[in-house]
Order: sequence, then structure tokens, then C-alpha cells
Amino acid sequence: MEKAYLFLVIGLIIGLAVGIAAGWFIKPTPAPTALCAYPRGKFTEPPPPGQEVVIVHGFDANYPPFTVVLPNGTPAGFDIDVMKWIANKYGWKIVFKPWDWATIVTALEKGDLDIIASGMTFNAERSKKIWFSVPYYSYIHEIIVRADETRSVEEILNSGEYIAVQLGSTADKWADRLLNKGYNFQKLGLDSYVAALEALLDGRAVACITDSAFFNPYIKQHPEIADKVKVLTTLGAPEVYAIATRPEDKWLRDKINEALEELMHSPKWDELLEKWGLK
Amino acid sequence: MYLEQLPMLAPYIPFILEGTIWTYSLVGGGLGLGFLIGVPIAIGQVYGGRIIKGILDVYVWFFRGVPLIVQLFLFYWGVFPAMGFKLPALATSIVVLGLRSGAYQSQIFRGAIESVEEGQMLAARAIGMSKAQAIIHIVIPQALRIAIPGWTNEYAILLKDSAICFVLGVMEVLTRTKYVVSATGLALLPYLFAGIHFLILTYGGTKIFNILYEKVHIPGLVKRGM
Repeated sequence: MEKAYLFLVIGLIIGLAVGIAAGWFIKPTPAPTALCAYPRGKFTEPPPPGQEVVIVHGFDANYPPFTVVLPNGTPAGFDIDVMKWIANKYGWKIVFKPWDWATIVTALEKGDLDIIASGMTFNAERSKKIWFSVPYYSYIHEIIVRADETRSVEEILNSGEYIAVQLGSTADKWADRLLNKGYNFQKLGLDSYVAALEALLDGRAVACITDSAFFNPYIKQHPEIADKVKVLTTLGAPEVYAIATRPEDKWLRDKINEALEELMHSPKWDELLEKWGLK
Repeated sequence: MYLEQLPMLAPYIPFILEGTIWTYSLVGGGLGLGFLIGVPIAIGQVYGGRIIKGILDVYVWFFRGVPLIVQLFLFYWGVFPAMGFKLPALATSIVVLGLRSGAYQSQIFRGAIESVEEGQMLAARAIGMSKAQAIIHIVIPQALRIAIPGWTNEYAILLKDSAICFVLGVMEVLTRTKYVVSATGLALLPYLFAGIHFLILTYGGTKIFNILYEKVHIPGLVKRGM
């Protein structure tokens, strides 16, 4: 009987020692989040209750009617209104930060900005670095010519003359694609869609490639130009705009998607489209 | 034709002019920091030993050779974060403009120091001054006066270089003008306005430097009105 107690005590001591040693040396299995492809970011998880959410909204102020500035310096536009609505819904604070379009994606990745809502086209190339919300606006590329133009699309594209585009824009890529297909025209790269249209109007270019998201509202805002130009043809399939976030900011993206869905199904959406000439 | 467009531009004029504060923060900061860097470099290049000269040559070569836009990105996203602190865009822009302007200014001051007659140094040493004392009390005061016209040039250049800081989101005059072009759809008039504004800023600044030069220039060094 006493022997049995002895074995029990020794067994317990050995068990305890092995347990402590094992606990000491064996590393705990990592938490599931550490196994995620992306490290935790600023907005991966919901912030603690009571903490104010401040979102830095990066935009290109050169893109009417989505993002522009008013005479008093405050930002305005369709995308600004959408973000204000979302912020209002959740009680977030939005800091508007104008940024150069060429480096705006880097600024988002590095954390200078938290979102980009500025008429940004959702495409595969960008999706490698930044993740998008649900799409909220679709547009199509167009070739614009002067109203008195009588030549066909083929004739214009093979005229050997200048076709104006905004440098670095999706219209610029379209011009390259057409040139690669063997069309015979010269590309006139300018710094904005406004400048490209101006080049068409003053005769330096025979056509200008732009998109309906810029052209339609612009024509509404400037009726004096409306009867001087016309849409010759559209190019390719429609493309969409979406709000960009960092891949790891899942919570923020989910919240934006939820709000966008709600807004797009409310009468407010049509009101906003109407307000900015996008309908 | 452009007069008709003026009513469209008018409400935006205060917005554009407000950018002058940013522009002058960049120019003032850059010019000041550049001065603090440029003078010691110039002294080092003229009087320093071979190693010091070599190091300073590399510095000047780098900051004069690499485009400003590359330097801005390099410091904003590379150098400063790697050093463990993240400076805001305006501060980074001022530091980079200062480092760069320092390289250019050093050459202005170097030319000025070398143009101070050698006899001045010899005379200073003859009355018992050390080399350092001679540089600080005799050569530099003269060289700085000689450098003012060249330095005025640096102000005018920096004024326009500051516009490039927009790539980091600094809202100076030209950035704002670009926004106004987009918002109003006017292609030329806002730029024309900004151009005139820059002309006035350049004129005002150079005028001040010219007055300063007139006040402190070395009498008899340059024969005038001949």
C-alpha cells in the first residue's frame, strides 16, 4: 500500500517536471492572425469602442466632377460627397488630402493615405497592390471629334494627324493599344482631359480620346462646347470605379462596402449622380 | 476673350494666393538651410584638405546631379523612414530643398571666396591672425557681400523649383493653379495669373536682395558707371 503511494508521488513529480520542461521549451502555436498573408494593418480589426476613427482620404483634385476644389479651397465632388455620407453613417472623421495622381498608390501603401476615392479604375494591375471596394460607377472610353467632322472612325485613326489624350491616363493606354494595332495617327499627350479637349477645339488635334465619366458632366457644365463636339465612337467594354484600400485593412473595406451598398440602393444615390451631372 | 473668362477665375484668386504662404515656407526654409550648409562647404572646398574636399565634392555632385523629384521621393519614402522617423511632407520638402540648395549655394560662395584677393589673407596672417580667424573675420565677410548677386539668382530658381514639391502633396501656388484649371475648365487663364504672380514674387525678392547689396557692397571693389 505504502509502495503504491510512493509510486504515485514519484509519478506526480516526474509528470510535473516533464510538464514544466515541455511548457518551458516548446513554443506555443502561433495565433491564426500571424499565419495570414498580410500583417495586421491600421484597420484590419474594428477599433476599440469609444475610439474615434480618422480616415485619410487621398484624392486627385484634377478630376471633375469626382474630385475638385471649391474657391474656398475645400474639396468637393461626387466621391467627396460619397465619403462624407459614409463617414456620417459611421461617425468617422475624414481628413481630405489632395495627392499627386502619379504617386497616389504608393502613398496608400506607405500609410500616408488610408483610402483613395477619386475616380480610380478597378483593374487587375492595381489589384496586385491595393484592394478595391465594390464598384460604384461605370464608364466607357470615347473618341471625341469636332461637330463638323465627316470622316469615319477608320479614316480618323489612319489620318496620320494628332489625337489628344491625357498623359498616363487610361485614354493614353487606349491610344497606345490602337497604335500597336497598326493604326496611323500621332499621339498628342497633354496633362489633363481639359487640355486634350482644348487641343481638339483649337484644331491642334483631329480627335481626342477621353471617357464618359469626364466628358458627359463636362459638357453639361459647359453647354457652349456641347454643339462644337460629338462622340464619334466608344472604345472597348465599360470600366468601373471603386474605392481603394490597403489589402490588410479588411474591417475598413467591409464597412465601406456595406455603406456603399446601402447608399446605392437609396434615393440619395440618384440625387448625388444628378447633382454632379453623372446621370 | 480672356477678359470674358475672368469672372470664372475671380472667386478662385484668394485660393491661389494662399499658396504663397506655402511657397515662401519652402523658399525661405530651403534658402536658409542651404545657406547654413553652403557656407561651410565652400570654406571646406577652398581651404580643406584632400579628404574633406573629396567628401564635399561627392555631396555637391549628388545633390546637383540627381533630379529634385527623385531626391524628394528618396528622402520621403526611403531615407527618413529608414532612419526611424517620418517627417511630414512640408518638412521633408524644406529639408530636401535646403540640402540641394546648399550644394548650389556652396559653389556661389566658393566662387566668392576665391575672388577675395589673396593679399587679404596674407595681410591678416601678417598682423597675427590664425588661418581660421582670417577666414571668419576677413575673407567670409567680403565673400558674402560679393556672393549676393549670385545668391539672388538662387532665390529666383528656388522659387520655381518649389513647385515640384507638389509630388508630396505640398499645396503651393502652382499646384493650386492646376486644381483651378480642372475646376473651372479654363486652360490658359489660371496659368497666366500664376505666371504673373511668380513674376511679382521674383521681382519683389530680387529687389530686396539688390537693395541689400547696395547697402553692404564693398566700396571701390567694382568700378561703376564706366
